Formats: sequence, structure tokens, C-alpha cells
Amino acid sequence: MRATRAPLAEMVDTGRARRARGGPDPDEIRAFRAQRRRLLRGGIIGGLGAAGLGSALLTLMESPAFAGEDADVEILQTAASIENLAVAAYDTALTLDFIGGASAIPVVTAFATTTRDQHAEHAAAFNAAVTKLGGREQDQPDPVLNEMVEQAVPGLTGPGPVVDLALELENTAAQTYVANVGALGDLNARKVTASIMGVEAQHVSVLLAVKALLEAGAPQLIALPTQLDALPGAAGDVGFPNAFSKTADARPADEGAVK
Amino acid sequence: MTPPREPMEIGERELLGLTAELEETHRATLPVMREALEEWSAERREADDGPALDVASLVPTRRGFLLGSGVALGALLLAACSDDDDDSSGGNSTDLAVAALAASLENLAVETYQAGIDAAVAGAFGRVPPAVVAFAVTAQAQHRDHAAAWNSALKAAGRKPVRGVDETVKTAIVDPALAQLSDLPGLAQLALDLENVAAATYLNGIGVVKDAGGLKTAAAIQPVEMQHAAILNFVLGQYPVPDAFAGTEGARTTTDKIG
Repeated sequence: MRATRAPLAEMVDTGRARRARGGPDPDEIRAFRAQRRRLLRGGIIGGLGAAGLGSALLTLMESPAFAGEDADVEILQTAASIENLAVAAYDTALTLDFIGGASAIPVVTAFATTTRDQHAEHAAAFNAAVTKLGGREQDQPDPVLNEMVEQAVPGLTGPGPVVDLALELENTAAQTYVANVGALGDLNARKVTASIMGVEAQHVSVLLAVKALLEAGAPQLIALPTQLDALPGAAGDVGFPNAFSKTADARPADEGAVK
Repeated sequence: MTPPREPMEIGERELLGLTAELEETHRATLPVMREALEEWSAERREADDGPALDVASLVPTRRGFLLGSGVALGALLLAACSDDDDDSSGGNSTDLAVAALAASLENLAVETYQAGIDAAVAGAFGRVPPAVVAFAVTAQAQHRDHAAAWNSALKAAGRKPVRGVDETVKTAIVDPALAQLSDLPGLAQLALDLENVAAATYLNGIGVVKDAGGLKTAAAIQPVEMQHAAILNFVLGQYPVPDAFAGTEGARTTTDKIG
């Protein structure tokens, strides 16, 4: 991760600082929604309503904006921005001869091409969910991640750094979506996000396996079908290092929202 | 004279090494999960003013983590149960049924991987490549962790842990496949079928579970099952990320018989 380690460290710090400044956080949104449910179920609102004092508050709390549709839109726009960036990053990678050209490993080229297309489909799905909620489509990349990618591009001098950069993007996407699933109030938005998070995790698995084989000096084993007998043991489980998905590197919920 | 069994390409030292790596991974993720437990504990306190989870008392071991996470989730399920007493949707009973279904599917996966490992040790498949051994050992351990998480949740919610397997899936898929099993690709295909069923079931569950802790747990596990599927596709010589979106086709329902 030579080319991207420093920019990534800055990016993570930026994200943490942003969250610390009070940007929307999936867990805060989740907690808000839980509290709202309890209030609506409990006697507080009912009591106020009976006294003729709570109808306005009740109406406000049941309104889409108060219920968090705005938060849902921001979360979905951020997801679309991550996907837009992934598409652009794979497009850039495919212009490199050792990824998309004559000297590339064919399976790596096929993976980069297919994955790029899958991210384009994800972006379209997130934007469709955004417009369904009345929001504006996000056609721009996540600004913070985009800066990281731009800084990393000059260091993409071989397959290794490209795989590292792709791993960071895929991990970030997967962790962001896992973190957001519980925070989304709209069921359609939640289902769309949930149907994508596992695919990003699969991209991570493939990239981890490719990275392991490159580092083992066995690029010839990056093939379909591969020589199963020749694979090192680590290739079997390097692709799923955690029993439970992590969320520590999730991006702030509003980082890619349309301003 | 019966020919001698051909041993698996794994020794005790390699097995111990794999176990050590797993333990290391769990230790590395513990701080993150402890943070999640604290959040869940706080939500429990807000929910019903009941006794708080003593998060600090959780010992830093994998077993402790799993028990702790389950207790926290179970507490939330209990809280949701009291909330749902006046909720006509019956969300909590659904959540608990999904948790039981999930545990039974995880138990079935553990059992099936064990059957495959036993057959391999008995020489049923000839020489087993190291990567396949590593995959089976780690995937089985992760399914065991998943089952333990759901069972701890059920136990803490006052329900009996699910020790049995999903008999519906076992009868329809596993038993017929095991009866005809003669080679590694057959075993890999059976494992892939089970991983796909589990991933689809979790995705379906995310659309119906109401409890925040339950959602968080399902979202943390579903991508891992999909990662298992990606590597199994690779082992079978198939493209590892065949679909841009995870689907619910093949998802099991809470009407399945649990043995």
C-alpha cells in the first residue's frame, strides 16, 4: 500500500474529524429513530394530544422530513458518490497496460471490467432510490475519497498498488453500507443498500486473494479455472479474514450528499 | 488389502497455525465490537430502564465476545418484545423466529463442513489441496461464531438456544448431496449452495427484522457468507462475483422445520 497509505491515513482522520464535528452518523440516526418510535408509542405524545397540545408536534414527528427521509437521501447520495468514484477509479486502472492492456493478466482485466460495470449498476440503483424519496441524483464522486484516489494515481506503477487502491475503495464501500443498513428508515433504501454491501465484500475477497497470489510470486494462479492443487494454503481463507463485517472505516453519512 | 488412506495435506502444526490466526483476527476486531456492545447496552437502558449490561466485565476473548454480543442483542430483543406488546405488527416474534432460523442454518453449515472434513480425512477425495483445507477450517469456524452469536441472543431473550439444524434444508439439499458425494467439486458445490441460501436468508431478514441489534448482526454476517460464496466460485472455476446485486432467491423462511 505504498502509494496510498499516507493519503488514506489522512482520509481516515478527515472522516473521524468530520464525524466529531457533528456530521450525521448512522448510529445517531438509528438512535434518533428508536427514540422517536418510543415517543410515538408511549404516553407522552398521546397525553399531549389528548390535551390538545400535541397535534402539531405529532404531525411534525410523523412528517417525512422529521422521520429522516432527508437523512436517507443523504446516505443514499453518499453511497452513489462512492460508486461513482469506484467507476472512475476502475476506468483509470483499465487505461494502464498492466491492468487493461496487452501485458495484463486476463482474469485481472476481466475482473476490473466487470467490477467497474457492477459499480455503475450500483450507482444507478442508489440514485433511483434517491429520486424515489424526492432527492436529487448524485453524479459526482465522494470528494474526500476522490482526493485520496487522485493522490494515489501517480503511484500506480504495477498491479500491486492498483490492487491496494481498489481494496481500500471496496472495503470502504462495504463498511459504509453495512453501517448504514440499520440507519435507513425507508425499507426500499435499506433493501437496495443490503443487496449491494455483500457484493462489495465479494470484490474485497477477490482482491485479497489476488494480492496474496501476487505477493507469493504466483500470478499464473490468478486464472479461471485455477490450478487448485498449486494454490498456497493461505489463498483459501485470505479472502474472508473476519467472521463479522467491520464498520470502522465507514464514511460519514453526508460526505457525498448533493450540496 | 485395503490401500492406505491418503492423508489430507495438513498437519497439526498447520491446524494450530490456522487457529492462532483466527484468534488473532478476533482479538483485532474486539475493540470495535465492544464499542457496539456499549451502544446496545445504552439503548437497552433507554428502552426499559432495566439493568444495564456490564460491558466492562466482558473478558477479551472470542468466547467472551460472542457471549457478550449475544447478551446485548438478546437484551434488545427483550426490549423490543415489551415495545411490541402494543405493536400489532408482531415485529419481535418475527425477529426471534428469524434469529432461530439463522442459528439453525449456521448449525447446518457447521455440520456439513464437518461432514466434508471427515470425508476428506477418511480419504474420500484423495489428496486435498491446502487451500481447500484452509477454506473449510476457517469457514466452519466462522459459521460456528455466527451460530453462537444468534444463540446467545436467543438465550438472553429467554428462548432456548437452537442446537439443531434446519431440517427442511438438510432433507432437501444436504442429505441427497452427501449421499452422492464423490469428489471435491461436489463438496464445494454443496457448500456454495448452503452459503447462497444463508446469504439470501439474511438479506430477506434485513427486510423484515425490526430490532436494531438484529439488523446490525444480520448486516454484519450476510457479507461474510457472500465472501465464502465468492471463494467457492473461484475454487469451482466460476466467476467469483457473478451478480451485481445479492438476491433473496432461495431464502429460507421461519416455517422451516428446525430439528
